[in-house]
Amino acid sequence: MRPRDFIRRVGFGLRPDDQLPSDPLAWANSQFDSVPELIWPGRIYSEAEMLDIRIDFVDAEDAIDNEIKNPAEAKEKRRALYHRTGRRFFESYELAIRHHQAVYGDAPVFERFWHFWGNHFTIVDKNKLAIFNTGPMQRDVIRKGMAGRFADLVHDVTISWPMLKSLDNFQSRGPSSKFNVNRKRKGKPPKGLNENHARELLELHTVSPDCGYTQEDVINAANIMTGWGFVRKTKKRKHVEDRDVGYDGHVHEPGTHIVMGRKFKPKGFDAKTKGKEQLRDLVEFLSSHESCRRFISWKLCRHFICDDPTDEMVQMVVDAWEKSDGMLPDIHRAVIRAAWTFGDGHRKFQMPETWFLQVARMSGAPWPGDPKAFEYDFKSKPGPVQRRPARLLAELGHRPFRAQQPNGFPDTEAEWLSPEYLVRRLSLINNAYRFDLWATDKDMKVFVDQVLRRNFDNPDALLAFHEELGEDAAPSDRLVALFCSERMLKA
Amino acid sequence: MITSRRIFLAGSASLVVTSPLSMPALAAGGRKTNLVVVMLRGGMDGLAAAPFIGDDTLVRMRPDISINSPMKISGDFALHPQLKSFKSLWDQGRASVFHATSIPYTGRSHFEGQYLMESGGTIPYYDKTGWLGRALEGQGRKSLSISLPMPLLLRGSQDLDNFLPSSNSLPDSDMLARLAGHYAGDEMLSTALETIRKRPVSMSSMRSRGGDDDVHSLARIAGQQLADPDGPSIAVFDIGGFDTHAGQGGDRGEHAQQLGKFDQVVGTLRSTLGDVFDDTIIVSLTEFGRTLEQNGGSGTEHGYGTAILMAGGLLPESRVIGDWPGLKKGKLFEGRDLDATIDARAVYASVVARVLGADHRKVVKDAFFGADLPDMTARIFG
Repeated sequence: MRPRDFIRRVGFGLRPDDQLPSDPLAWANSQFDSVPELIWPGRIYSEAEMLDIRIDFVDAEDAIDNEIKNPAEAKEKRRALYHRTGRRFFESYELAIRHHQAVYGDAPVFERFWHFWGNHFTIVDKNKLAIFNTGPMQRDVIRKGMAGRFADLVHDVTISWPMLKSLDNFQSRGPSSKFNVNRKRKGKPPKGLNENHARELLELHTVSPDCGYTQEDVINAANIMTGWGFVRKTKKRKHVEDRDVGYDGHVHEPGTHIVMGRKFKPKGFDAKTKGKEQLRDLVEFLSSHESCRRFISWKLCRHFICDDPTDEMVQMVVDAWEKSDGMLPDIHRAVIRAAWTFGDGHRKFQMPETWFLQVARMSGAPWPGDPKAFEYDFKSKPGPVQRRPARLLAELGHRPFRAQQPNGFPDTEAEWLSPEYLVRRLSLINNAYRFDLWATDKDMKVFVDQVLRRNFDNPDALLAFHEELGEDAAPSDRLVALFCSERMLKA
Repeated sequence: MITSRRIFLAGSASLVVTSPLSMPALAAGGRKTNLVVVMLRGGMDGLAAAPFIGDDTLVRMRPDISINSPMKISGDFALHPQLKSFKSLWDQGRASVFHATSIPYTGRSHFEGQYLMESGGTIPYYDKTGWLGRALEGQGRKSLSISLPMPLLLRGSQDLDNFLPSSNSLPDSDMLARLAGHYAGDEMLSTALETIRKRPVSMSSMRSRGGDDDVHSLARIAGQQLADPDGPSIAVFDIGGFDTHAGQGGDRGEHAQQLGKFDQVVGTLRSTLGDVFDDTIIVSLTEFGRTLEQNGGSGTEHGYGTAILMAGGLLPESRVIGDWPGLKKGKLFEGRDLDATIDARAVYASVVARVLGADHRKVVKDAFFGADLPDMTARIFG
């Protein structure tokens, strides 16, 4: 693929101070062997810390709901709670960390894959997960797993707190588990399976429906997953939500379960633990399934190359997957090789967030802003800059932690190119001061020409379009002509 | 139609009026007829929206989530208490429930199901256009979707717009014209930009008070556009959140809240449309229903049969329509779900035929690939 176009296609383009790599393919390939450190200089809260903040919030909000009868007092308490726990702060803060990395980091191709996996393993926007948990999970589980095996990543994501919460597995119980046997003895109605997580593990995270599994397979996968949820450390309930992920043999559906013809047997004799390894075995089985390789290779090619990837492209990734036994760095390199080999003949309409990060990186706009401006006092309402990332992405219609359904955000032109989506992009660039692009105080004609030559191979048509605007063109029109150009929207 | 099944009917003594219906393209007085489709994503529970109260099955199977104060609409059926506006329309003879129906998809995947409810086909991710889009092709009608994406449902026709209010200013018209020239070689980009350039001024000044979740504001905007004689005659809404695997709730709770949003769309359209409501029909659309029995988390799993809620002045009276299979174990689909005895696409085909004043067979051919769909026109509109 032509080098500058390639760097936009698989990364975010070149910053004003970036050099064009002499070997772009090698440049991209070197980004996968280890996980790049986050370069955000401010405080980075671990997933566990954020879970504590979440539980503090949920407990305190619950107490306000239950105990404060006076509406004015409740409102005041709630406001104080929002400040203390960063209820209105953390989503934008998390986005600032992510965007800072994309705009200033030196492994932009890796970041693109990170964003891809975050969307692949979507945490649905509910129960305030988008505020406190989704971003931290993407950092601490997905990102950290990206130098390892796909199967390990699936496993770790599957038993992550936000995933167990968002897909309800924490409350799925084996119909003949010890738990339900006891209930029956006491004359209480059973509490049964919840198929939600099992279905999405098969459909979205691994093999996809193309593989031809049945409802029976879904039920058996759900049986295997029973027991994985949240464990209480003490008998006495201290918090509204439980803090720790764990396996509870008491609610696990006993016995051997068959999924897609494969038997998953319990191991050992201790009822507390003998079903525990079944999930690991299931994930290994699913992850090494031909349908899984094919489905996810196709999905990766669709994201990085074009909406309808060819068999040739997909096969390149499938081969690397097989050869490496599902090592993610090898898979990622194969996707990049496929993009490099076949990319010139295809175009890819960029998702709004990706496009915006390309605008930010290519323009050198100081986005998401000075990290110091994100230091929050947890006592007052967060300032406009502190809330800006989430607001701006909301206008573009793409808040990455807020997909409404577990299949995440779509990834094709037909889904993203509507009149209203286009309105949002045109309006944002028309008002580029909102992400501080005016602060550059440059001759906008010279500036746009430079950005364009740095980031596009064969830029003549684009330069001519820019020239057409005339000498007196408004700076905003120059920016629209560049950042809303057809080649920019479809890298 | 399986005639051995019980045919349900409320508010009307006679059902099968098979008079040939030849509908003009415009209603009396030259007014346009409007169709509003409200997509309910996640699997709307027809047994919660319009519970069967003819026996105690639902109460037994759903001890934690059954409806305690149903609003009775017939001897056998009631409405969920959140459907207040819908019920008041029912009382005026302007609402119907088509029960025990579904698109012909039994795979229980949301994403396949949602694709098919919009594409109108039977192979997931296959057809690139939607049933409503194909039905509208060449009809000279304008459509407006109240959403950020252009739903698959409408793709395939011309004169499509989609809209959600926002507050930032577009580049001026000269710049948009230049950009149109620049986009000329790209069909999708130029179509989208042309649509934006043709928008009436009334749309660009519209604001939503409560953001994208404020269905009241959004429905008011849609209502104003539909009420404009030169405006769109087709509107689509998109409401998610019906996938209640946990804590579904009964009279209140998550499912109730989402049904409430549907009701708000109906109620707001009713008040915004004024007389135009007489020439309008609103229908719901979902990918599947939910299991009869509640699960371990006081929720329900992915099911099959569900209900279509319909409201508007194009309905002659309020009815519960459908061939009710019952909730006895042997009558359930795969032993767990309300069965679907009539293909939901048959209902939509008849609704579209009525709105467009088109021949039912033509609609079935254009929109639903000539599938074998019975004509429901008499049962809904007769």
